[in-house]
Amino acid sequence: MNIITNDLIKCKDALRFLERVFDPEIGLNVVDLGLIYEISFNEEENKATCSMTLTTQFCPIGESIVENVRIALQSAYSNSLIEVKLCFQPPWNYDRISESGRIFLNR
Amino acid sequence: MFDSNPNSAISKTTSYKVVLPFYIYAGISFLVASLFLFAHSEVFINHYYQPKILAITHIMALGWATMLILGASHQLVPVFIEGRLYSDKLAYLSFLFLAVGVPFLVYGFYTFDMNIPAKLGGIFVVFAVLTFLINLAVSIIKSNRDNIHAMFVITATFWLFYTVLLGLILVYNFNTDLLPDHSLHFLSLHAHSGILGWFLLLIVGVASRLIPMFLISKYTNDRLLWWIYSLINVALILYQCIFIFFDNGLSLFIHVIMILIAISLFVFYCIRAFQNRMRNKLDEQMKISLISVAMMLFLILLFIIIISMICFSEVKPSLVLTYGFLIFFGWLSSLMLGMTFKTLPFIVWNKVYHHRAAFGNTPSPKKLFEHTIFKIMCIIYLIGFSIFAIGIILASPYLLKIGAFLIIITSILYNINVFKIILHKASST
Repeated sequence: MNIITNDLIKCKDALRFLERVFDPEIGLNVVDLGLIYEISFNEEENKATCSMTLTTQFCPIGESIVENVRIALQSAYSNSLIEVKLCFQPPWNYDRISESGRIFLNR
Repeated sequence: MFDSNPNSAISKTTSYKVVLPFYIYAGISFLVASLFLFAHSEVFINHYYQPKILAITHIMALGWATMLILGASHQLVPVFIEGRLYSDKLAYLSFLFLAVGVPFLVYGFYTFDMNIPAKLGGIFVVFAVLTFLINLAVSIIKSNRDNIHAMFVITATFWLFYTVLLGLILVYNFNTDLLPDHSLHFLSLHAHSGILGWFLLLIVGVASRLIPMFLISKYTNDRLLWWIYSLINVALILYQCIFIFFDNGLSLFIHVIMILIAISLFVFYCIRAFQNRMRNKLDEQMKISLISVAMMLFLILLFIIIISMICFSEVKPSLVLTYGFLIFFGWLSSLMLGMTFKTLPFIVWNKVYHHRAAFGNTPSPKKLFEHTIFKIMCIIYLIGFSIFAIGIILASPYLLKIGAFLIIITSILYNINVFKIILHKASST
C-alpha cells in the first residue's frame, strides 16, 4: 500500500477510519485508491499528520475529500491535533491503487 | 519526503453559483427547442434555409449545447489547466450576455426580423463569447501550465468567437451590403466554423481528458492528440481559404479527408482508452456519451455524400437537414445528455456536502438523480431521434410528429432529473 509511517500500530488504526472516506466518483476509499502518502505521529505535540494527494490537482471534489480525511482522523484520535497536508509531488498515478482496489474496479 | 503545498488549489475550484445557471438555462432551452420542433416539424420536409429551422438550430447550438459547455467549462477548465478560473464575475457576465442574446436572436430568426432583435441578440452573443474567451485566456496565462487539452479548449473558443462574429456580420448583411454575396452563400462557412471549430475541437479536447479519467484508464497519447488538433485546425483554415478563394467543390474534399482522419484518430484514442481501463463497469452516462463518439463517424459519412452531391449533382435538401439534425439532436445532444449527469451531480454534491461529514452517511453523487428516469430518457431519446431522422429522409409528417413528440418527452425527463439534482437538500441525518 506504500504508506510511510513512524508508528505501524497507530497507522493501522488510522487506516481503518480512512477506509470509510470514499472518492464519490470512483466509489473507492482513499486508502485503496492510494491517495494517502504518509501518516506520522508526534507524541510530544500529541499530533497526527497525514500527507495525501488527489487523483488530479484542482479536483472539483478535492476539498470535500480532504475535509473527510481530517474528520476521519479526528474520529480516530479525538484528543489529538490533526493536520492534513495536501501534496502533488510525487503526483498520483494508477499504480498506487491497491490490489483490492483493482479487484473492486474490475467487478 | 512529499512536497506539500500549503497554498494548494483545494478550495479554489469554481463556485457552484457560477455554474448552475448555465445548466438550468440549457435544460430549459432543450425543452423549448423540442417544443418548437414539434410545433414546426412539417418545415423539415422542405428546404433547410427557413426561419423556423434557423430558430431551432440556434436554440440548440447556443441555448442548449454552448450554454451547457460554457457552464461545464467553468468547472472543468481549472482541472485542465491546473489553475483557478480567473474571474467569477466574467463567468456571470458571460452567462448574462448569452442568456439575453439567445432569445433575441431566436425571435429574430423565428419572425425573420433581421433588424433590431436579431442584431441585438447577435451582439449579446458576441459579447458572451468574448467574456468567456478573456476569462479562459487569462486563466491559462496565469496558471502557467500549458497542456494539449487547454490548447484544444482555447482554440475552440477562438473558433467560436470567429463563428459568432461571422454570424453577426451575416445578420447585418441581410439589410446592409457588408459581404460580396447573399448571407445564404456564407452559411456553410459560419456553420462549419461552429460545428468543427467550436464543437468538434472542444469535444475532442475535453473528452480526451474526461474519458480516460472516468474510465480510470492509463492510456494517454499527447502526440496523437496534437495530430488531431493540427488536422482539425489546418482543415478548417483550408476550408475557409478554398471557400473564399477557389469555391471549387472537388477541393472541398481535402478538408473532409483531414477531418475524417482526425475523427478516426480520436475514435482510435477512445478505443485505446476503453481497452486500457481499470474500471470494468460502464455507467449509463458514459454509454450514452460513447454513442455520441460513434455517431461522429456516421456524420462524416453523410458529409462526404453531401459534398459528392455538391460536386457531381444537385444536393438533396433532406440530406442536409438530416445532417444538421444528426449534429444538433444526435451527436451534441447525446453527449450533453450523458455528460450533464456525469458532471452536475458532483457540482451539487460538493455544494451540499462539502462542509458536512460526507463519510459514512451521505449519498453518493450518483444517487442525486433518478436512474430509472435517466434510462427511460435515453431509450425514448434514441427512438425519437431515430424516428425523426427517418421522417426527414422519407419526408413523412407523421414520423416527424411522433419523433418530435418523443424528443419533448426526453427533454421533460431530462429537466425533471436536472431539477431533482439542483434542488437536492441534505437529509437531516
